[in-house]
Amino acid sequence: MSDKMMDQIDVKILRMLQQDARTPFKVIAEQCNVSTDTIKNRFNSLKKKGIIRHSTIVIDPKKIGLGNIVLFGIRAVERYSDSVINMIKKIPGICVVTRAIGEYDIEAILILKDIEHIGTTKEIIEDDPQVKSVNVDIFVDKPLLCPKNFEFE
Amino acid sequence: MISMKLDKIDNTILETLKEDGRTSLREIARKLKVSPDTISNRFERLKKERIIIDSTVVIDPSKIGYSFITRFSIKVKPAYSTQILDKIIKIPSIIVASKIVGGYDMVAISVVKNFKHLCKLRDAILEMPHVEKVEIGMWIETMEICSHYFLI
Repeated sequence: MSDKMMDQIDVKILRMLQQDARTPFKVIAEQCNVSTDTIKNRFNSLKKKGIIRHSTIVIDPKKIGLGNIVLFGIRAVERYSDSVINMIKKIPGICVVTRAIGEYDIEAILILKDIEHIGTTKEIIEDDPQVKSVNVDIFVDKPLLCPKNFEFE
Repeated sequence: MISMKLDKIDNTILETLKEDGRTSLREIARKLKVSPDTISNRFERLKKERIIIDSTVVIDPSKIGYSFITRFSIKVKPAYSTQILDKIIKIPSIIVASKIVGGYDMVAISVVKNFKHLCKLRDAILEMPHVEKVEIGMWIETMEICSHYFLI
């Protein structure tokens, strides 16, 4: 899947845009010694192949009044219970929900306003008859986000 | 806590760039019927206030050779947590690291290529001085619902 899907120019484009999604194509073109149109075409093709999902900005949730990042670890009665995942998906503030192998059957990350909100959300999850237990881990300080840490072969 | 009030212009800038981080400021100005300079000043202010931390492209890990995501929960000697956190985030493939309150002291989330890679990552964390315990949760069928605050 991954081999020969990308060449050096593609990797360079990804690297530069990961650092700053707003880098002008002209600047990337100069670095790669190719035309701006080439970069533009490559970028569109990376998007079409689904390698680049989208470009976005990263916002500090605290600064817009969303306080806490919370990791929920859930053990469900029936392992991999779809109904639990569907219930969690609908909770406002949900970022990620996943099935898991390990201590928990389902893990989810939510962005929640304050401690009360964490409490009520935990109760909502616990109230589901399919849920056996809920563990809560609250991120403290600023989490270090490093989406640029991908390794390209 | 919230250091600045956001008005309609700020919110439109945030919403537009969340959807497409490459949207030109000129285009946003046209949409809002204000001058490009206004948008440019606001954009700079949002960055200066650290409301916008960064801009990036979101890459699908499965398309570049990664097969799943793993969450590591880590127990450390508390006095060393900041120092260990700084080291963990530098390990290639780790995309999030944070101190937490709960059963463990910190959490790290990593994209993983295969089981061998997973073992290597776990060992890299375990071998750090003052790390006492590492617990692993392997994520499968991960659904990313909102990537604007938290990129996975």
